[in-house]
Amino acid sequence: MRKNKMLVAFACCVFAFLFLPLFIIAVTAFGGESAITFPIQSFSLKWFANIFTSGSFISSFKTSFQIALFATLLALLVGIPAAYALARYTIKGKNMIQSFFLSPTIIPGIVLGFALYRFIVLVMRMPVFYGLLLGHFLAVLPYIIRVVGSSLSQFDFSIEEAAWSLGCGKVSAFFKVVIPNITSGIMAAFMLAFINSFNNIPVSMFLTGPGVSTFPTNLMNYIEYNYDPTVSAVSVLLMAGTIIIMFVVEKTLGIASLAK
Amino acid sequence: MEFLTLNKIDVTYDKKKTVLKGLNLEVKEGELVSLLGPSGCGKTTTLRVIAGFIEPSGGEFILDGRNYTKVPVHKRNFGIVFQSYALFPHLNVYDNVAFGLKLQKLKKAEIKRKVEDMLEICGLSEFADRFPGQMSGGQRQRVALARAMVIQPKLLLLDEPLSNLDAKLRINMRVEIKRLQKKFGITMIFVTHDQEECFSISDKVAVMNNGLIEQYDTPENIYLKPKTEFVARFIGFNNFIPLKKQSGGIFITERKELIQVEQETKLEEGLGTIRPDDILLADETVSENVMNATVGVRTFLGRSYQYEVDSTAGKLVVNAPIGKVYEPGDRVRVQLPKNKIIIVRKSM
Amino acid sequence: MKKQLPYLLLMPGSILLIVFLILPLIKVLFPTIYEGTFTVKNYREFFQDAYFMKILIRTLKIAVLCTVISMFLGVPTAYFISRCNKKKRGLLLALTIFPLLTNSVIRSFAWINILGRNGIVNTLLMNAGIIEKPLTLLYTEFSILVGSIYLFLPLMIITVAGTMENIENDLMEAAESLGASRLSAFIKIVLPMSIPGIIVGNILVFTGTLTAYTTPQLLGGNSNLVLATFIYQRAMSLGDWTGAGVVAAVMIAATMVVLRIFNALAAKIDERGEKYA
Repeated sequence: MRKNKMLVAFACCVFAFLFLPLFIIAVTAFGGESAITFPIQSFSLKWFANIFTSGSFISSFKTSFQIALFATLLALLVGIPAAYALARYTIKGKNMIQSFFLSPTIIPGIVLGFALYRFIVLVMRMPVFYGLLLGHFLAVLPYIIRVVGSSLSQFDFSIEEAAWSLGCGKVSAFFKVVIPNITSGIMAAFMLAFINSFNNIPVSMFLTGPGVSTFPTNLMNYIEYNYDPTVSAVSVLLMAGTIIIMFVVEKTLGIASLAK
Repeated sequence: MEFLTLNKIDVTYDKKKTVLKGLNLEVKEGELVSLLGPSGCGKTTTLRVIAGFIEPSGGEFILDGRNYTKVPVHKRNFGIVFQSYALFPHLNVYDNVAFGLKLQKLKKAEIKRKVEDMLEICGLSEFADRFPGQMSGGQRQRVALARAMVIQPKLLLLDEPLSNLDAKLRINMRVEIKRLQKKFGITMIFVTHDQEECFSISDKVAVMNNGLIEQYDTPENIYLKPKTEFVARFIGFNNFIPLKKQSGGIFITERKELIQVEQETKLEEGLGTIRPDDILLADETVSENVMNATVGVRTFLGRSYQYEVDSTAGKLVVNAPIGKVYEPGDRVRVQLPKNKIIIVRKSM
Repeated sequence: MKKQLPYLLLMPGSILLIVFLILPLIKVLFPTIYEGTFTVKNYREFFQDAYFMKILIRTLKIAVLCTVISMFLGVPTAYFISRCNKKKRGLLLALTIFPLLTNSVIRSFAWINILGRNGIVNTLLMNAGIIEKPLTLLYTEFSILVGSIYLFLPLMIITVAGTMENIENDLMEAAESLGASRLSAFIKIVLPMSIPGIIVGNILVFTGTLTAYTTPQLLGGNSNLVLATFIYQRAMSLGDWTGAGVVAAVMIAATMVVLRIFNALAAKIDERGEKYA
């Protein structure tokens, strides 16, 4: 393809802007100095060791992982039937119901966290963990509705009717015919929801309490009090994790499925 | 001096795949030349080289005495009609047609006059305000033509412009194109894989295969006197008999049978080809170019029967009148009239 | 039974949304307009307080600048990506998605290291002898803006590239054959046809910046509050639940107004679009 040199240069600058900061962080993770310096003066892996010796990173990682997993599963459990109902049936006020299910997207995360904190932590006295779980569930539900919904909208429901005509009950037809045909949509929704929940901060800000903090909020607290390359080392590990996830997604679903 | 000259054009993709190898083509001013061939033969690539979308890795393209090889597309002033029409969906018919004129920075009134004239000529006057999405395939085709013609191009390039239309419309449009070509005297290069379309419209046809022009001739000559096996096959010959020249008009088959051929040829060796309609099922009295054969499959074509026969010169396809019916297994004599046999060069 | 099935399927989600989204929102928003009787006092106070207004204006200013700059950087880049061959396009899209999947704390942290007092920019400039004392780049509106652009630019690129990919190359070639240079073909064909994608990109970036918490918190510090960091401070440091509720209402309202404006814009273009759909 013939290309304009100016455009190529422009795009290169934009990609440099996107990647240089991450590259710098990655390099500083291997520095031997106690404060972050770039370029690094000496090489060391001690900051990686530091992650695993300070217990808060490990425990908050576990919390975040659990929250992301359970919130996503709950959202799938509730979201798939809803998306199916919206795609399959002509019901009154369909558009309104759809926007209702997508409404958490127009509520800013920090407001969502604030409201949940007031209501379920202070009023209902629910344990902090459940507050976080619910907050993350609400934050990721729209992803499920949107991605599973778009994959259902491409599903030819006459296939389901064919299954009925062959003697398959409605419930079993749903599991035997519909679900297998939207697996890639469900997988994409799962990945998106999980990653977004895992990285979420605004919703968690209000909802983390004594003894329970998520990985990103813990990281944020750490940055406010320390200026050493431990965070760089954490970044390197997280980026490595992201690359692995992206690689797996590319091989299975195609990377474009995350660009929704 | 020819109007358009392609001189030893080479095109390679990704430094590996050669698409055109030393292609030559000469076109006179005001001619309509078709590039005909199966998909992948390089006809669209040739058109894209002329248009300027592909810069050849070798060779040069001269038009009207000027070297265009490295002139950028937007400075060439060639009209192009795309297979997909490529109408701008966000502009209405008027603005689509006016697009090129506006870029020429003409006065508004002049643009209006030119566009309206062109819409009139193409029978589009009443559609000026419509958007492409609101029009039928045939109408879009006309808009694409009008848009390409209105800039008064030096050359009009058409890339399978009729392939998205239904059969009836296709015939109407090709008459239309021919009419416009005569009216404006524009030199046109027309890419197609449809031989009927190509023969009906062209002054000259270049049959392409594997990045080379196999034969460049008038439609009549291509149809009646193919020069290579590829061209012959492409236009519907399907009987090929390997032959070697014995002397004068006498050729010899692999089974050492002698065949007389009227056509004069310089080829010492080649394939004798003949249309199924021209082969006769002969009676005892004829002796010239006659072979024994066994009847195989018979199919009914309406005006005739088609037989596959196993002759001493190999398998042949014969169309015979329906007067007499032969059954599979019948032994017959087939005659290849000497004035109907054409000697062609074997293709790779 | 048959007619009830869809409602049955929608039931669990609806209940959860009502109990854990609508009720809590009412719980925090209702007190802002009802103190024994209905009142707009809290809102009047908000809009009359210069300090609050400064924060609101700062938030809007950053959101507008971030959106506009992301558009100027993102649209040409998206165009570049959309004109690459399939293999290269996939790679570039993956490169664009990668930062999006990286935690925003890390992405903001990167800029602390670049813009900080002893950060890379200051070190470079001082070593080059251009400045003598380090510049104050971090904990300013500037650093929030840079961090926000860094955060949201990929979103703009991906959204716009998605639309541009669908524009047939034939259209560009047709424009060029009619005498349009590459640049004018871009301006006259690609740009008008990508407006729907650009609008969606603008919505995502604008509402994202308007409500972002992490980046302003890490790069803005306490002297450069925006609405999101302001809510947290009101509620957690000052225990001013009503005040935080007012800010929450303002944020929701701002988001909705922005969505309305952009959707109206999109609808207007769609109206024209219907003609060529």
